[in-house]
Amino acid sequence: MEDRTDGRNANQLRPLGCSRTILNRAHGSARWSQGNTIVLAAVYGPKAGTKKGENPEKASFEVIWKPKTGQIGKQEREYEMILKRTLQSICLVNVHPNTTTSVIVQVVGDDGSLLPCAINASCAALVDAGIPMKHLAVSISCGLMEEGSIILDLTKSEEEKLKAFAYLVFPNSPLSVIDKVHSSKEEPIEHGIITSVSYGAMPVSGYFDCLERGRAASAAISEFLRRSLQKQSSEDASRAAQ
Amino acid sequence: MDVDTRNMTPTNLIDKIVVPGDVVLDLTKMENQTIKLGSGLRQDYDCISVMQAGKLRLSKPNKYWVESSQKRYVPSLEDTVLGIVVEHRSDNFLVDIKAPNLAFLPVLAFEGGTRRNIPKFETGTLIYARVVKANGIMNPELSCTDASGKAAEFGQLKNGYMFETSTGLARMLLSSPTCPVLEALGKKISFETAVGFNGRVWVNASSPDDVILVSNAIMRSEFLSGTQQRIMAEKLLQRLEKV
Repeated sequence: MEDRTDGRNANQLRPLGCSRTILNRAHGSARWSQGNTIVLAAVYGPKAGTKKGENPEKASFEVIWKPKTGQIGKQEREYEMILKRTLQSICLVNVHPNTTTSVIVQVVGDDGSLLPCAINASCAALVDAGIPMKHLAVSISCGLMEEGSIILDLTKSEEEKLKAFAYLVFPNSPLSVIDKVHSSKEEPIEHGIITSVSYGAMPVSGYFDCLERGRAASAAISEFLRRSLQKQSSEDASRAAQ
Repeated sequence: MDVDTRNMTPTNLIDKIVVPGDVVLDLTKMENQTIKLGSGLRQDYDCISVMQAGKLRLSKPNKYWVESSQKRYVPSLEDTVLGIVVEHRSDNFLVDIKAPNLAFLPVLAFEGGTRRNIPKFETGTLIYARVVKANGIMNPELSCTDASGKAAEFGQLKNGYMFETSTGLARMLLSSPTCPVLEALGKKISFETAVGFNGRVWVNASSPDDVILVSNAIMRSEFLSGTQQRIMAEKLLQRLEKV
């Protein structure tokens, strides 16, 4: 198997970074970085009223995607739609009916895996704003090489070279006081899938391999997200004392 | 505060930081018990799971809630809040209390309020009121009287300075015994303050210097411990005496 340009092995993710509550005026904000791909997400809301065409018995979400350079075009609209549907499925929409929550995503750096990075950032920003959610979402990109092997967390050059790759979003692994061993009849929640966007043509077996690897790696991202949420509260104490 | 390894299920998540999706109570093991759920928790068939990230708290015997600090406010009954009048309709004022919906303040909900003496609140007036109706679906309703109908400090707040904080800091300022920063400031300066559960604080004192000093001290005290708050307040007070 050939080496990847940045020296990682097939299953290795780029260094992850997450900081929350970085914007003063936004009700929730987060900055998520995976290597050189950096995305800033801001959440405003819930605010009263829904747009025309949205169900007033549920809370609605509005996503605005701001690219790093250039005008807003079809690619941005596609990202907005995918992000909106992903967030709608992880948030509890019956808690605040007839409200709109706006999520604004600003791309700071793009080195591949942009949509997964944005989804991770938006999820962290929603937690920061206190929007009620069923569970968190962790997202990862998986690429299929010619010989059938899978590589994770693609950079831009890898995305351009590969024939097929997919962006996958999984629920996070929850902590539970219920002993999982005894209730092993049902599948654990992290075996579900929230969103899948695939580019290029890949065989069905290749797609299922991607799912499996992606799911295994999402446990690591889920653990990182949990640790950063736990650490934040103790960091606030040292930050404010300055 | 680190949780055990993934293989061991934690028996108790009380006083630990939880994230949305964590299951904190198994209802099949607790029969014939009444549990009260506060903010941040919801019932998901046979278990209680977390909706908002924060620290899980238990108040014996049976009240569970998630303590978190946000910039927005979720109205709950009998909270005292600071609202800003947005509009004046025929039978109520529309008041912004940093909640997902605007709140209604009936024009008659004042001590001795009749159709003849409706208060004239313009847009932008700061009001100290109490939440009398709050369910998730309807607009919350406020009142400027206490339960027996007396005014009891509710109503318009004149002069002074209002600033916004998080709900966590507002709860700390309202805790009893008195918050250390307020106690330390109160020893040297005379000021009055109104704190709303919705994250708004109003400060009034005889001179603008005092108002600024008290406001800055409160804003800085969010993440400090009791002793740190006292030290910080004393440093600020020393600076005022020098000038």
